[in-house]
Amino acid sequence: MGLIFLLVVLAMAQDRPTFRVKVDLVVLSFTITDNKGHYINGLQPKDFRILEDGIPQKLSSFAEGNKPPLEVAEDGSLRPMAISEQGKLEGRLDSVLGTNVFVLFDTSNYMYRGFVYASDAIADFVRGLDRADSVAVYTYSRNLTRAASLTKERNEAVSGLRSAVAGDDSALYNCLLLTLRDAARVPGRKVVIVFSNGPDNASMVAPDDVRAVAEDEGIPIYVISTNEVTKDPISSNVFKRISTGTGGKSYFAKTWQKQVEAFEAIREDLGNSYTVTYYPQPNPNEGFRKVTVDVLSDIGKKYRVQARPGYRPHTGF
Amino acid sequence: MRFYKAIASVSVAVIGFAVHLDAQNLASPRLPAEAWKLESKGQGADAHTQLQTAAEGAPNDPLALQAYAEFLAHHRNPAAREAYEKLLQLLGRNDSSPSERAKVARRLVELDLIAGDRGSAETHLEAFRTSGGSGLSLPAAVTPPQSSFIEITGPLRSFARMAAISPDIAPEAVLGALAHNVTLNGYAAGHGGEALEPTEYLKLVMRYLTQARELEKLAGPEKLLQVPNCESAVTGDLLRILGYRMRGGCGSDLALETVNPSRAFLTIDSGFPLSELEAALRTNRPFSLDYHPARVPILYTPDYWPAAASGQKPVEFIDYFLNEPTVCRLYSAITALDPDTAEQMRKDLPVGKAKVYAHVLDFFGSMFDLRDGKAVVPGGARAEKAWADMVGVAPDKGAAFFERLVEKDDGWMASYYDSLARINGPVQAYLTDPERIKRFYVALRGRVTSPGPARPVFRANADLVLLTTRLALDANGKPHLPGGLDLWKNLFAGKMEAKYDQRLAKAAPGWKDSEEVVEAMFGLSRKMVENQPLKIFMALTDLERNRAQPLETNTIEMLARSYKELGAQYSLFAETPAISDATMLAYLAAAHGITQIRDVGLRADAAGTMQALAGFWQVFVRQRSIQPNAADAALSSVLQGFAKIQSERDVFDAGKMGVAKLLEAASAPATGSAQNHMMDLLAGTKATSEGALSDAHTQMLQDMTRVFEAQRLVSLDTIFTLADRLEAAAGGQKLDSATAIRLAGRITEIQLPRTALSTRERNESSMGYWTDRHIESERKMNLRSAIDKAGADPQKLRDIRGALAPVLRDTLVGFIYVHYAPPGAQVLFTNPAFVRSHDFFGSSSHPSTWLATEVTGSGWPANAGGRLTGSLSALPYALADAEQNFLIPTREQALIWGDLVPQMILSAVIPRWWNVTPTQLHWIGLNMAYAESTLARSALDAAERRRVVAVLDHYMPPSRLKRVERLLADGDVRRAADNVVPSEMFLVARELAPDDHDSPLAGELHRIAAEAPEEVSAQAISHTFGTPKPLLSTSYEPALLNLRTFPTLLGYSSRILAESWESNLLFYAALADEVHMRPDELNLRVPEWTQETVEHIFATHLDDWPALLRSLRLVGDDVLQKARKQLIAQNQKAE
Repeated sequence: MGLIFLLVVLAMAQDRPTFRVKVDLVVLSFTITDNKGHYINGLQPKDFRILEDGIPQKLSSFAEGNKPPLEVAEDGSLRPMAISEQGKLEGRLDSVLGTNVFVLFDTSNYMYRGFVYASDAIADFVRGLDRADSVAVYTYSRNLTRAASLTKERNEAVSGLRSAVAGDDSALYNCLLLTLRDAARVPGRKVVIVFSNGPDNASMVAPDDVRAVAEDEGIPIYVISTNEVTKDPISSNVFKRISTGTGGKSYFAKTWQKQVEAFEAIREDLGNSYTVTYYPQPNPNEGFRKVTVDVLSDIGKKYRVQARPGYRPHTGF
Repeated sequence: MRFYKAIASVSVAVIGFAVHLDAQNLASPRLPAEAWKLESKGQGADAHTQLQTAAEGAPNDPLALQAYAEFLAHHRNPAAREAYEKLLQLLGRNDSSPSERAKVARRLVELDLIAGDRGSAETHLEAFRTSGGSGLSLPAAVTPPQSSFIEITGPLRSFARMAAISPDIAPEAVLGALAHNVTLNGYAAGHGGEALEPTEYLKLVMRYLTQARELEKLAGPEKLLQVPNCESAVTGDLLRILGYRMRGGCGSDLALETVNPSRAFLTIDSGFPLSELEAALRTNRPFSLDYHPARVPILYTPDYWPAAASGQKPVEFIDYFLNEPTVCRLYSAITALDPDTAEQMRKDLPVGKAKVYAHVLDFFGSMFDLRDGKAVVPGGARAEKAWADMVGVAPDKGAAFFERLVEKDDGWMASYYDSLARINGPVQAYLTDPERIKRFYVALRGRVTSPGPARPVFRANADLVLLTTRLALDANGKPHLPGGLDLWKNLFAGKMEAKYDQRLAKAAPGWKDSEEVVEAMFGLSRKMVENQPLKIFMALTDLERNRAQPLETNTIEMLARSYKELGAQYSLFAETPAISDATMLAYLAAAHGITQIRDVGLRADAAGTMQALAGFWQVFVRQRSIQPNAADAALSSVLQGFAKIQSERDVFDAGKMGVAKLLEAASAPATGSAQNHMMDLLAGTKATSEGALSDAHTQMLQDMTRVFEAQRLVSLDTIFTLADRLEAAAGGQKLDSATAIRLAGRITEIQLPRTALSTRERNESSMGYWTDRHIESERKMNLRSAIDKAGADPQKLRDIRGALAPVLRDTLVGFIYVHYAPPGAQVLFTNPAFVRSHDFFGSSSHPSTWLATEVTGSGWPANAGGRLTGSLSALPYALADAEQNFLIPTREQALIWGDLVPQMILSAVIPRWWNVTPTQLHWIGLNMAYAESTLARSALDAAERRRVVAVLDHYMPPSRLKRVERLLADGDVRRAADNVVPSEMFLVARELAPDDHDSPLAGELHRIAAEAPEEVSAQAISHTFGTPKPLLSTSYEPALLNLRTFPTLLGYSSRILAESWESNLLFYAALADEVHMRPDELNLRVPEWTQETVEHIFATHLDDWPALLRSLRLVGDDVLQKARKQLIAQNQKAE
């Protein structure tokens, strides 16, 4: 969630007070690659500068890949994030570890032919996720089905996946929106992976409106299309737009092998990304706020940062 | 409520049989009255606690125990049985009279039967008898008749998944549901010609059966699929059949992957537990699966059916069945027949012959009714001879009558029988008059009978059923003809519209009687084309239905002439009988005037503004914010501004004045924020007894405000303040430029969403569909610059008001959207331009400015999302339609029931329950409790049963009625009640309670009816818990019409089917009473419960009403469970 309404319960060490705050917290995930596409790992908070409309932000936490998040102190040093016993009991520790992955699987008539291969590829992906990750499997045709709710149990997720039934119209963007709404309610880092043939013949909402929701909530959308990029140019363009606009990526993978590769690439992305949180500095702009990630150590400006371009702060709805 | 009014003046102080008991404690007799005092103030939970405390505190006080037990029973609380049991035991210990004990024992028998506890019922019946009671008997438990079965290979769940059958239906309904699905979806005309070919749906079912047989073979004689371990030889065989193979060696790296996609698809689609198998192989543990075939009951015997396929190679029944669409249709038809008719037809009608008429039987057989060997005919004994003449066989010949009926004239006679059998009362008596019945039949049948009305797989035409259902009679017993005979003569003769039918046009000038017009309507109702005269006839009849005075002839004529263009607006007039002829004509004139405006933007702004204002008026009148006697003047004053629109400035002035007039008519405070006043009024009546906002009202306001803000609409206050300042400046006052510019900035700085695609992309992909001129012009609007440029020029300053007209239109239209926002409102929260994108224009070739609202553009990623087009007249339905697919079915494979759900949503959104009293809520609950109790009594008493059946006969189809009758006769009250829908339950109580002077529940109903006759009058209850029926009654006014549920019909008429379902709100009201909910909470809970109900439905087909009923009960059980848990927790906390 880019801007989450999060009850943060931070129980500090014994000599520090426990305090509770209800604030808007921005979660920003991004990857950094060099000019050959290799991930740049091992960077520290001091290596970045996060700007919102040009205003530098003060980081609250920092995490690399699936490692536990670290608290960023006033002086920039890192220390383990303290979570109260109550918080642990409530699973709050789990919620900040790993990524919450929502897989949205197209089971409409358009996927009829490739349904079983897609199911295999998704099953492999689910099993291959990092142990810290949680995964939910949703399917869609005209309506959404929550085949497997968010879980760390891979078998549960695969079982939900294997219970999917094929058929009916395709309302991809309606169902993507509903998936984002669910994901937005979960604390911590999350991504949505859409596995689709592309066409949509039943949605009431437009792709760009759905993208805006993902952008504002800070949920990257990855898309694996089982269609060729040139076969359905409108869907392909839309896929590219919603993925890049949210900090995700799109893949056009008609064959099973390519689909497996796409999933592998997404898994790599998840494992090599950085996630930071911050409370936005005062900013009069209530509209779209542009977010920039500067890599300070990249003197030659050779690195490429993949992140969502910005977000709109919540206005109460 | 004729009876209740009659006894209203009688002082009825009897509560149950309390007065018969010897009062031992002076306080105890007052307990029920004290409890009612609390309950009638909306403090039902307190009343409960008070009675419970009294009963527990005085366990030897029969009055306290009785008061508590009765309270629980009145609220259908299962704890009532325990409370009555304690009372019975106490009465047995003290010196109470046997008659007192008998009454309690009898009540317990009823409650036992309702709970399905036959053993306890028998025990309490014995107690009743030993206390001197007599006249009741519980029949011996019957063993259900032995059914014949067929076997379907593999688990039933897998087959049901493949055949798209709900897993919730009873095994005996499986083949009927399959037959229905095969009939509807199993076959389609082949590419080459007439021959039917199996669809992909049916091919998959057949392929699945082949795979299942292979698996069954592998399962061996034990019918158990067993894989001892990963390396077993069986593993490979099983995986081959399933279409999978192992990747990686046995162990944790193993994964199953597709090797044969066709087989793998069947494996997944049929729900084979592949992941369990995979997990077992990964952990090298055994896997086993029971693979016994499913045993499914079959109608008649399997021998009966394959007889039709004599000469063919013997095959399993299921294969034969799937390959014979006509047999499926016949089977489907017979499942809907009343069991007596079905049995007699089996004996008399050879299956080969029956197949020929399967389609007629399928559509029109469900109303066939055999009683005592005679066919029951619409019109009863008086019409029997006419039916005998028309059919050629007398009704007393029983099944032979129906056999001949289905053979006649390609099904026209059967359709006639069906439509007449669905109605009751004076209209049925009129239509089945021996002379008329033949005359109308001849008109319906026409000269050429082919194609018949039953040829497609759906009924193609709803007109006949609508005509017979909605016909109104005048006091003289003649059909009501709005506008008189001459108008209809002119209409049919083609003097007002194009001729509808050459023959009728020729005959019309000679018509002398209203009957001839009805005859013409029957003649037209057979045509499978747009039947405009019937639509006009029904709309105008509805318009006059509740009016004190009929409309003037010239008004009716104008309405008839304008129907094609403006007919969608007539629901506005039908909903408010107080509206005058002059105001209706003014509305039509204003609408015609707006249609003539050439400037598309101006026309859309004028239409949108006027329709929104009319929409507010409709809501305020419906919610009684505007009193009926002020309604006409209010609308009339609003319309004045739209009489002659020539510019955007006129639109703005008319809109602003309209808002002021409506707020005034609704008694909003003269000062303060127009925005807040409007929002308050749209949310509903706000005042509580203390004058403060209730929690429910506050919550609703917050929800509405969130939607308003999500649409980035401009507040009325901002618009009006800016306009006022500009006007003042134009009048010579000094303009406060800073303020004006600040206000203008607020308007222009509202961030309209970015365009979805570039112009080039749009042009390439949307083929000219894209029309968002309104939004584009608002994006370009720069009010600040306009104010700067205007300087002190009065004319220019005034013109800026015109620039505000589109903004005002958006805000006003937005208010209406906000008011009707469906639960969830995902579209409104996600697409910030949804209101602005409302297309009031349509296209130049098909202008839709005044047509019913429609959803367009869905499923088109290249555009900006779906939008609504047309007028605002059907906005509630269109919004619900747009939103329905955001609901999330809770069951795998279930989909949202598209034909039903929008009507369910709008029934939860349009009525508001701010003025509902606790008495009204309890009235519904008490009626439901009484109806259940009556069913139980009817199981014990044959005479009572006859009375119940006579009532239900008016609402239930014969097949269900006989099932209920049989279950009651067997003493199985619980299952009988499961077959009675809530609206029928309510009608049982409504019709039987007034004459019941014996039952304690009836006594309580009489007491309330006497105390609050206005609150519980039929009219008040209909308005409060009825549903809007825009198609069936041309009105959004909530009402109970008490119709039989309509059959599935094509096109718009599938909405009629949903409109005829009136059970939801009655069910929710009774539920709210059970959990002692405050009535105003219904405003929040009903939309929420409706959403849950929709999400839990798992229906097999469009006639699967039991699926809806199951879902309602599931939601109800969940609510009750939570409420009771909460009550227990509260009590524990209090202790």
